[in-house]
Amino acid sequence: MPDAMISIRNLSKWYGAFQVLTDCSTQIAKGEVVVVCGPSGSGKSTLIKCVNGLEAFQKGEVVVDGISVGGPKTDLPKLRSRVGMVFQHFELFPHMSVIRNLTLAQEKVLHRSPKDANEKGMKLLERVGLAAHSGKFPAQLSGGQQQRVAIARALSMDPIAMLFDEPTSALDPEMINEVLDVMVALAKDGMTMMVVTHEMGFARKVAHRVIFMDQGQIVEDCSKDEFFGKPRSERAQLFLSKILQH
Amino acid sequence: MGGFDWEVIRTSLPYLFKVGMVFTLTLTVLAMAGGIVFGTLLAMMRVSGLRSLGLLAGTYVNLMRSIPLVLVIFWFFFLVPYIGAWILREPRPIPVGTFYSALITFTMFEAAYYCEIMRAGIQSIPRGQVWSGFALGLGYWQTMGHIVLPQAFRNMLPVLLTQTIILFQDTSLVYVISATDFLGAASKIANRDYRLVEMYSFVAVVYFILSFGLSLLVRRLQVRIAVVR
Amino acid sequence: MSYHWNWGILLAQEPGGTGTYLHYLIVGLGWTLATALAAWVIALVLGSFIGTLRTTGNRWIVRLGNGYVELFRNIPLLVQMFLWYFVVPELLPVRLGDAIKQMPPPWGSYVPAVLCLALYTSVRVAEQVKAGIQSLPRGQTFAGTAMGLTQLQAYRYVILPQAFRIILPPLTSEFMNIIKNSSVALTIGLMELTGRARAMQEFSFQVFEAFAAATVIYILTTLVVVLGMRWLERAVRVPGLIAASGAAQAAH
Repeated sequence: MPDAMISIRNLSKWYGAFQVLTDCSTQIAKGEVVVVCGPSGSGKSTLIKCVNGLEAFQKGEVVVDGISVGGPKTDLPKLRSRVGMVFQHFELFPHMSVIRNLTLAQEKVLHRSPKDANEKGMKLLERVGLAAHSGKFPAQLSGGQQQRVAIARALSMDPIAMLFDEPTSALDPEMINEVLDVMVALAKDGMTMMVVTHEMGFARKVAHRVIFMDQGQIVEDCSKDEFFGKPRSERAQLFLSKILQH
Repeated sequence: MGGFDWEVIRTSLPYLFKVGMVFTLTLTVLAMAGGIVFGTLLAMMRVSGLRSLGLLAGTYVNLMRSIPLVLVIFWFFFLVPYIGAWILREPRPIPVGTFYSALITFTMFEAAYYCEIMRAGIQSIPRGQVWSGFALGLGYWQTMGHIVLPQAFRNMLPVLLTQTIILFQDTSLVYVISATDFLGAASKIANRDYRLVEMYSFVAVVYFILSFGLSLLVRRLQVRIAVVR
Repeated sequence: MSYHWNWGILLAQEPGGTGTYLHYLIVGLGWTLATALAAWVIALVLGSFIGTLRTTGNRWIVRLGNGYVELFRNIPLLVQMFLWYFVVPELLPVRLGDAIKQMPPPWGSYVPAVLCLALYTSVRVAEQVKAGIQSLPRGQTFAGTAMGLTQLQAYRYVILPQAFRIILPPLTSEFMNIIKNSSVALTIGLMELTGRARAMQEFSFQVFEAFAAATVIYILTTLVVVLGMRWLERAVRVPGLIAASGAAQAAH
């Protein structure tokens, strides 16, 4: 794949003696939406954190937009500023207003003027339907609203790709859809996305490919239709049957 | 005892407050500021994950916490002139005066205690906050300065202020190097006029009112912070 | 820098003729420990009593306890030391006051120092005891009294044995504090370790040897206390969770 945005090659990672990732390889092309799923403890969260260097790895290579993440001379802050990330527990900065959450990194990393950062921030808040809440503090918003702010915050950096680490699993069921809607819209706009999630509805709707992980390994890596049609591995079948019962 | 002599207190009020209390409060405020800055740096060293830095800061903190403050005051009182001579390449120790000696002592000593408070504060911030700072492309100092430390500082504000009340009381120990702090000033008058009962009782009352008043304020702050969260 | 190091000074005779400077300092450590231990015993008894009273829920007792705590917590230790040494004997009946003032050294300094440190520390112990008791689930008292124990028995057999196990680590640091705080007694003439280091510096002019020796002795003392407390913590540890019955049994 010549225009791979994210390329992971033979990635292995250990916590002490315990191996969390074993020889993982995959590629994500520009504009592609890839869903990563698997049972808890399968290493999917660790894998996605390796993509922007939040977790260090011992073996293999991760290349984002032509830049090696593990390279000794890589400017990680610069690389990370171009890859947006959304976390399970939102991780908004609780001591800053919603709009300040969006403008901080624009000013400090991208060196945008406060005025530009503010305009950009308000535009994105409007896009996620929360412009009216810009002056509030994160704790005054519902979980779903907080996660939408977190997505807007990541988008404020004009990222070339977005990483989502279980963005809906800390949410009450009635709030999941408002977040998924924002993500679906983003996918339809052509954003390159790597999404760790159990939301198979989302995967069916917008994913191009599905990666299934188990025990630190990539077990399946195939197109959406192949995955939902007939997964090759037993473990993926078992996982799907459990997930889809709910 | 010959009756309680209010007059000696009344006539010495200007000296007690304009000289003594000014010394005490200046020392407290400056040592607090210096101690929190230095203590926060020590705390960052301790949580940095770099073994050598952590060990260095840990040793310093444990050393300061295992010897009496009086001994530390003596140490710096005699050591600082030599360090000054060494820095300025003078052949003889440089006299620095009791105020600067005390200021250096209390900054260095209280930093060990502020360090442990800030360390607890930093460790109370979820790791995800650091990740999301990094994920936005913020560097280490930016993440610390804009995200981790402001929250840690806010969470720990009541404890930091309580420590400062302790510092305020501890500054009275500069008596041992004959500094003219609030207690030192009172002691000088007490011994001059032989009015120890009056002067020391008065000093106790003043310290009590100030410390107790401050601790009430801290308690109210604590409630307010708890509500905001 | 023009300081002349002379570590041999520690083995030179001190001018009082009692032996070497090192010996002189170690006797100082003896006074430090004698002061700290005596004060600690009083502080522990008094503090436990007051701390327990503060959890009883009787409004007046609680207020009295709070007043006691605030009084001793908001006056600097050194000022309290002066109050005990200079002021208290004047407030007592004349004969008793004179008797105290005429106590021969070092007792004239030792007794006020012990009383001062004891009351100062009792407040901190009381705070810890109160916190320890309040950290226990209320069901513990209920369970105790439901079995027919009186309130007093419930405290004696159920509440306090658990509370003390919980607060052992903070009590350890309070004990270390009392050792360090005993150095403040040098201001009323008690020749404990820091006071003797200071005296040695004045006699011998070897400032840094004197203070370094005292520092090392304090650090060694701290180490011994920490090890001793670790042993104590292991000795009273209740296997598994702290269960009321197990804690009460182990307390005997």
